[in-house]
Amino acid sequence: MEFTIRAATLEDCKDISRMILSRCELAEYEKVSDQVKIAQRDLEQDGFSKNPFFHGIIAEVPEHLKSKEGHTKVGYSLYFYTYSSWKGRAVYMEDLYVMPEFRGKCIGKALMSKVSQLGLAAGCTQLNFTVLDWNKSSLDFYLKLGCWDVTSDLGYHCMRCEGDVLEHLAQGDL
Amino acid sequence: MANFNLRKAEPKDVPDILRLIKELAKYEEMEDQVILTEKDLLDDGFGDHPFYHCVVADVPAEHQKVEGYSVIGFAMYYFTYDPWIGKLLYLEDFYVMKEYRGFGIGSEILKTLSDTAVKNRCSSMHFIVAESNKASIDFYKRRGASDLSLQEGWRLFRIDKENLLKMSAYE
Repeated sequence: MEFTIRAATLEDCKDISRMILSRCELAEYEKVSDQVKIAQRDLEQDGFSKNPFFHGIIAEVPEHLKSKEGHTKVGYSLYFYTYSSWKGRAVYMEDLYVMPEFRGKCIGKALMSKVSQLGLAAGCTQLNFTVLDWNKSSLDFYLKLGCWDVTSDLGYHCMRCEGDVLEHLAQGDL
Repeated sequence: MANFNLRKAEPKDVPDILRLIKELAKYEEMEDQVILTEKDLLDDGFGDHPFYHCVVADVPAEHQKVEGYSVIGFAMYYFTYDPWIGKLLYLEDFYVMKEYRGFGIGSEILKTLSDTAVKNRCSSMHFIVAESNKASIDFYKRRGASDLSLQEGWRLFRIDKENLLKMSAYE
């Protein structure tokens, strides 16, 4: 299939937001509005101001291959730069998504390849991301590409302090 | 011990930061994995677009328990993003020298980081812990941290340089 991969612009935030919401629906969360707090204008501000918190790339198809609903922007990846205290600069792929009707055409692999190129150009020596353990097809996809499961192999667990817990920590409550 | 000071790291702290990174890696039995140099830390943390931020804990000369070291703890962090909930603070490393534990220095560092997260409108602080590190897991769980790997099935995946190069050449 014919497609291009390019850097996301401010104008793409509408479609990125659309795809974020549809992946939330696909994951069968009942109350999408409860889970997703970030709106199109937040993406515009957080991703396209002077000091962005993330970068984006878009997969686009030509007009004659547009989706059933008329979309030409059919996939995206959001990534940002992180730091390993052992190895230095790293890139974190936060989201990788291709609309269901465009899957199986190597668009996901092309998006990931682009993030890899950009990461290497920025001096990164590793790319990190998370996958849910029930997502068998994604786990297989990534393992085939030479990724390895840090949680399984090294026993590293992903931890979180959020909401009230974060507030209490900030106030010094134990 | 009452006297310690928490402050933003400066370029002159880089040798101590690398020393403490290596001490923490040794504690995790991963010392040979540290390939970062003082030059990397200087370039990447104190340029126009830093890849990380650091706070250090230091003690005045009269309270030094280990000769020659006044910087006795540190935390390295940076900001990340979740497109559902927005900005997050990611805690990369957090360590206090053995001789200085039990005095509340670790708690104070965590409080400072949490305060930084809240002030920067981050909705959450994320980090990873080795499941074998029971002391650290207890420390964090006592403070309300959730284990996303156990509770929600998150697995951290990585692709290293050799495979990253292959990946980037894909057409």
